Amino acid sequence: MDAKEILKQYGIPLPVMKTVKTKQDAVDAAKAIGYPVVLKIHSSTILHKTDVGGVKLGIENEYQLREAYEAMEKRLKNGIDGFLVQKMYEGHYVIAGMKRDRQFGPVVAFGLGGIFVEIMKDVSLRIAPLTGKDADEMIKEIKTYPVLAGARGGIKADLALLKDILMKVSRLSVEHPEIKELDLNPVVVNAKEAVAVDVRMIE
Amino acid sequence: MKDLKYLFEPKSIAVIGASRDENSVGYGILANLLRGGVFSTRHNEPFRGNVYPINPNAGEILGLQCYASISAVREKVDVAIIAVKSKIVPVVMKECVQKNVKAIIIISSGFAEFDDEGKKLQEDVLAIAKKSSIPVLGPNCLGVINTNSCLNASFAPAMPPKGEISFISQSGALADSIIDWALWKNYGFSKIISYGNAADIDLPDLIEYLNADKATKAIAIYVESIRDGRKFMAAAKQCTKPVVIMKAGKTELGLEAALSHTGNIATSYEIYKAAFRQSGVHVADNVDELFEAAQVMAYQPRLKENGIAIITNGGGCGVITADNCIENGLTLSPLSPETLKALDASGKMHPAYSRRNPLDIVGDALPGRYEVAINTLLKQKDIHGAIVVQTLQTMTQPLENAKIIVAAKEKFRDKPITAVFMGGKFTRMGKMYLEAHKVPVSAYPLKAVLAMKALLHKKE
Repeated sequence: MDAKEILKQYGIPLPVMKTVKTKQDAVDAAKAIGYPVVLKIHSSTILHKTDVGGVKLGIENEYQLREAYEAMEKRLKNGIDGFLVQKMYEGHYVIAGMKRDRQFGPVVAFGLGGIFVEIMKDVSLRIAPLTGKDADEMIKEIKTYPVLAGARGGIKADLALLKDILMKVSRLSVEHPEIKELDLNPVVVNAKEAVAVDVRMIE
Repeated sequence: MKDLKYLFEPKSIAVIGASRDENSVGYGILANLLRGGVFSTRHNEPFRGNVYPINPNAGEILGLQCYASISAVREKVDVAIIAVKSKIVPVVMKECVQKNVKAIIIISSGFAEFDDEGKKLQEDVLAIAKKSSIPVLGPNCLGVINTNSCLNASFAPAMPPKGEISFISQSGALADSIIDWALWKNYGFSKIISYGNAADIDLPDLIEYLNADKATKAIAIYVESIRDGRKFMAAAKQCTKPVVIMKAGKTELGLEAALSHTGNIATSYEIYKAAFRQSGVHVADNVDELFEAAQVMAYQPRLKENGIAIITNGGGCGVITADNCIENGLTLSPLSPETLKALDASGKMHPAYSRRNPLDIVGDALPGRYEVAINTLLKQKDIHGAIVVQTLQTMTQPLENAKIIVAAKEKFRDKPITAVFMGGKFTRMGKMYLEAHKVPVSAYPLKAVLAMKALLHKKE
């Protein structure tokens, strides 16, 4: 099953995006979406797109878009099925995920993206199904919570939207036992929206 | 729910594999039943029901006539304790089923924790248990102790003092050592259960039983792994008594040891912690904390909200306590203007008292000043508990201060008080008075702070 389809079914917000096959289509799509955009390769064989230079963030105009498109096309000739033009979201990068544990079943995870989760292990966990209180606590118990709350003049994340996503991940993981792992990474959150920009699902 | 009444309160017991060899487990179990313990203490009490040693090759052990098999016993047998080689356990169990025993304890090892053949044997054992619906404890366990019914159905060294804490341990050896420690510290237990490989009776069954058990006030648990996490969470959530747990295998290295030790597969500690938290179980980081917390939770009221006061006659010790509080997630409530006014008006305060939380009432504090400070602060609505830290100075009166703390405890029944009597020799009388009145007291602030943290996690 397609991960994005499932997220859609549960009402988890996905980014505005368009799949394209040609450079001109990419340019048209970006114009329709509005700059800045993200250009990604669309591939069934390449799992870690960032590692091979298959993702370009913060494209500000048509010139930069064409340049990025050509560079990717040249470097990754084989294995590309197409391209994805995505709206670029500004905000905090967080991770919402699920791991199915042998003893406890679905475990929902939350953390601030990047090094905080991977190196500092700054993650909160709860066994699904979550209560509203569980989700609130998960968001507030990570050490980097002040960052989400807008510390030092930073972006103040809409916590209710994050909570909503966690509750939906919880429900989804209970209702779909075939999903072994799920990563919404990153979820970009700001004062107005929270969007699951990238998703990885293991069945 | 499994009926475990007979397991804990049998009228008659057969020991299958009873032995004359004083160094054998079969001898130890029989001796424990007959004398209460092998290591002699005043807490040992002989089992008051009938005991039947089963051994086809012995005539008499410890003055009791031996039987060739359990079927040879004419009278009813409630509990069969099996301590024979693993290979013959299934055969012996079938005889126990025929005899219509009400519960079985399999002490023998060499099952799922050992090898594939053992795993198969354990499956056979489980099949027999399920078919007969006789509850089976073990295999590979130490057994059961119930101080309330003079029952030491285990090969633990002795019986612990009587008390109201019950301890469930996945490790038998830890339970052994805890008994020795409890005898030294005079720490009381109601029941101690080692459940080994948990082929049949598992942790959730024991939690359910102890929750319904009138003699148990708090439950302490030691685990290396939990087989059915969901079932455990359900039982823990339903449990209305305080539950505190220590989970071994926190680190990757520890995890390997746990794997080779039991037949289960452990998962990461963080997932366990999340599950414990969600099911209202307090987590202890070490064995010491496990039993401290169980005791505190059994006898102290819940800390209703996160806001406490520190009262001390030593500025430095107040700061140490405050640090420990913050590090452990406890919040200090600011003193209200009314509280300060009342302290000022009492005429008991030193002019240089701190006027803030931690409340330093200055080194020369006499009992009367402690009394005013403790009572005034606990009267403040958003101070939900207090830690009283006493340092020993020339005019300090530990025993009188202890009495004031106990009196405050009686007065403010819904607010917990923990005490720190810094030092050792000359604070001893005060400490003993507090202990006798079930007020947690320690020589250093951290323990009192951890006790308060446990009370914050106590269920409503």
